Amino acid sequence: MAPAPQLRYHSDEMIGYAIRRILISIPILLAVLTIVFLLARVAPGDPAQAILGDYASKEAVQALRERMGLNRPLWQQYLDFIVGLARGNLGKSMITGFPVARQVAYALPYTIELTLSGIIFGAVFGIPLGIYTALRRNRLPDYLGRIFSLAGLSFPTFYLGILLILAFAVWLKLFPAVGGGDLHNLGDNLRHLVLPGLTLGLIMTAYVTRMSRSSILNVLNEDYVRTARSKGLRERIVIYKHILKNALIPIISIIGVYSIVLIGGSLLVEIVFSRPGLGKMMVGAMLQRDYITLQSVMVIYAGFVVLINLLTDLAYGLVDPRIKYD
Amino acid sequence: MREFFGSSLVKVGLGVLVLIGTALVPLVQSQQEQVLTIAFDAADLKTLDPHFASATMDRAVVDMVFNGLVRYKPGDITVFEPDLAQSWQVNGNVWTFNLRRGVMCHPWGGNPGYELTSEDVVYSLTKAADAARSAYSGEYTGMTFEAVDKYTVRITLPTALSEVLFFPKIADYAGGFIVCKKAVEDLGDDAFKTNPVGTGPFMFQSYSPMEKVVLVKNPNYFRGAPKLDKVVVRYMSDVTARESGLETGELDVIEGRPEQPWVEKMQAKPGTVVDTFGPGETVVIHWNMTKKPFDDIRVRWALDFCLSREELVAAIGPAIAEPLCAPVPPVLAGGISCTDVGVLRYDQNIETAMALLAEAGYPNGFDAGEVVTSERAEYLIPMQNIQAQLAECGVKVTLKVVDHSSMHTLIRQDVNPMVLYVAWRPNADAFLTRFYHSASIVVTGAKPDTNFSHIGGVDADGDGSIDSIDSLIETARSELIPGKQIWLWQKAQIEIMGLNAAYPFYIKKFVFARKPNVNYGYTLISTLALYPPINELTSK
Repeated sequence: MAPAPQLRYHSDEMIGYAIRRILISIPILLAVLTIVFLLARVAPGDPAQAILGDYASKEAVQALRERMGLNRPLWQQYLDFIVGLARGNLGKSMITGFPVARQVAYALPYTIELTLSGIIFGAVFGIPLGIYTALRRNRLPDYLGRIFSLAGLSFPTFYLGILLILAFAVWLKLFPAVGGGDLHNLGDNLRHLVLPGLTLGLIMTAYVTRMSRSSILNVLNEDYVRTARSKGLRERIVIYKHILKNALIPIISIIGVYSIVLIGGSLLVEIVFSRPGLGKMMVGAMLQRDYITLQSVMVIYAGFVVLINLLTDLAYGLVDPRIKYD
Repeated sequence: MREFFGSSLVKVGLGVLVLIGTALVPLVQSQQEQVLTIAFDAADLKTLDPHFASATMDRAVVDMVFNGLVRYKPGDITVFEPDLAQSWQVNGNVWTFNLRRGVMCHPWGGNPGYELTSEDVVYSLTKAADAARSAYSGEYTGMTFEAVDKYTVRITLPTALSEVLFFPKIADYAGGFIVCKKAVEDLGDDAFKTNPVGTGPFMFQSYSPMEKVVLVKNPNYFRGAPKLDKVVVRYMSDVTARESGLETGELDVIEGRPEQPWVEKMQAKPGTVVDTFGPGETVVIHWNMTKKPFDDIRVRWALDFCLSREELVAAIGPAIAEPLCAPVPPVLAGGISCTDVGVLRYDQNIETAMALLAEAGYPNGFDAGEVVTSERAEYLIPMQNIQAQLAECGVKVTLKVVDHSSMHTLIRQDVNPMVLYVAWRPNADAFLTRFYHSASIVVTGAKPDTNFSHIGGVDADGDGSIDSIDSLIETARSELIPGKQIWLWQKAQIEIMGLNAAYPFYIKKFVFARKPNVNYGYTLISTLALYPPINELTSK
């Protein structure tokens, strides 16, 4: 009957820790916002001119600048943005006038499904592959695994995407190469997710395989593994309970870190596959000098980074009860 | 160990196979529907309000949704045809248009649509003339619009204009697109940007940000119901993705890359047709005559003789580039062909160039300094070629490559000693006024625009007096006799070439690729919509 209070104590600790981390992230997010706000406006280029093109009259460009609020002092624009954000209002795109929140609501599920599929694919294939190659160190499977992970680490995401399109969409005609599919139609959505998900997944698998292998190798010769085997435990138990559990911390850490990298990588995949998503939204906003959309997307990206870091830290405690949340 | 992998890996593998298997089940799309998908080189739309739309992907959508009072003949911009107006009369500076009856505005937001009348036309033209509600307001300065009766519209111009100058203002181009009053008022200007309502062959259905716009056929279109049921306009900034989509059959028409190797590559692919068409955009280098040593006409002559138009055209590729020898392209009334321009073509002659440079005090050439240009291939490739050509005469040009939007801002701040500019204007007057009238001089002009050479504000030939072609441009503008008007425009260009304010290089054509089963329904020679127009006759 003793474990229950211990677990409750542990989860209380976790909640307290999570709240502290979220509070600390507020100034971080604010700093990111300020930097993005200033950088977007320091870059040359006039959003009004970008919208109207070079044929527009000077008066029309001036009128649009006025309407967009670009003639107002910088501090006022900044204040409006922060106040709006605090009220949960992301504003309207400076280019299309379309509410940014609606754009985000449309794009975010595509980015999430893409990133998640990459992470899951990476974890599902990378961890077993890492274990498999580590247990066959310096034998053929290990060499092949190392070549695969090295290739994955060095392969540019967009190039892999193009190769997969050529193979599976152009030649074999198995999967579509354009768009993200209809979110309300599971089959259509999955069909559009396979190639982009595979692109990110293969890269993620390479990272995870490499880290899992080295992590497993670190614990493979520990006394407790030898003891477990000498006790006559089945190999499956030894791998699951003794090796994998102790090797998981660095693996979780690397999955966390590369999940953040993956969100960045999703940008290129979204462009190559012409999928809707936050990355595509960000690039479009940058090219069109759509400050409002750009700022909002950056806030969401920064939020993601903070969230993933937090989840990674919390996962440590779940895997290893010795870890305390201070 | 074998047991571990024998169970776990197999389970995972099976799970993934099941997942892929589910996804693989092809969704057999209804072949009853004729859906044409066209992809543009763009991250997203900018605006579908026709009075602001200026980018190719926006012009494409508005072209399908709206009409003008008159229209350019599909596929040929040299001919005007009736559109919403079925006939017209002109009396001096007053034009009277008789509207077609029974033209229906598309339904929107629960509203069933209604018949377009003179009230809508007056509202639309008034909106086009308002700088706060239109990018093309400058075209309508001083005009008044009046609804004489339900189907008659009267337009009074401040001064009489020839057909060739007036029709582009009321045609299916820019401010001439007619919007439906009730829809704009109901939706509001902001929402109208992404919910266009017009009278065209296709009606707006939906917009998915950064992805696509879907249009459906207008069964009540006054020229007859379109053959296509649906047009999907996709925004795909990656050319490889567009190519793949065309190959897989997910796309029917794609915007290409205006480069000869791309055209050749696509032409070599079975099942792909490449269309290159006009009118194209003019590629001209403007010498900034306020910067030394470009203020010396001998130096500008030298640079002209140093450059080879033919070499640049060959580098860009004959499928894309056609030599341009005067500021106004020959396809427009008042344009001059390379044959007609004579010695003012300034054919390459390095010896003459070096002699002129020596006479001007630069026997070994000079450092022209930094030149800002865009990262876009249409700017960067010719600019790099020009840089190499000028180096042959000892003229050093340092390119500063910035993003396209920044380039437009910087060149309008007059930072460059020379400006390479790629542009299309609908008539000779627009070309001459926007690039060579003193009022259009960047920064200091009365209405600063794109006069990068400063002609009209400087002594271009060194005779101690300001050289201007303003009066020629203005006289030509108000001339009503077509032949005389053309003669005045050509005379203005000869003056510009003589003063050497600019060096026209080539006309850059538009490039699209399509599946062979796509039939546009007309012969595509030139279009102001900047894309191969999709209309009621298009099928696949």
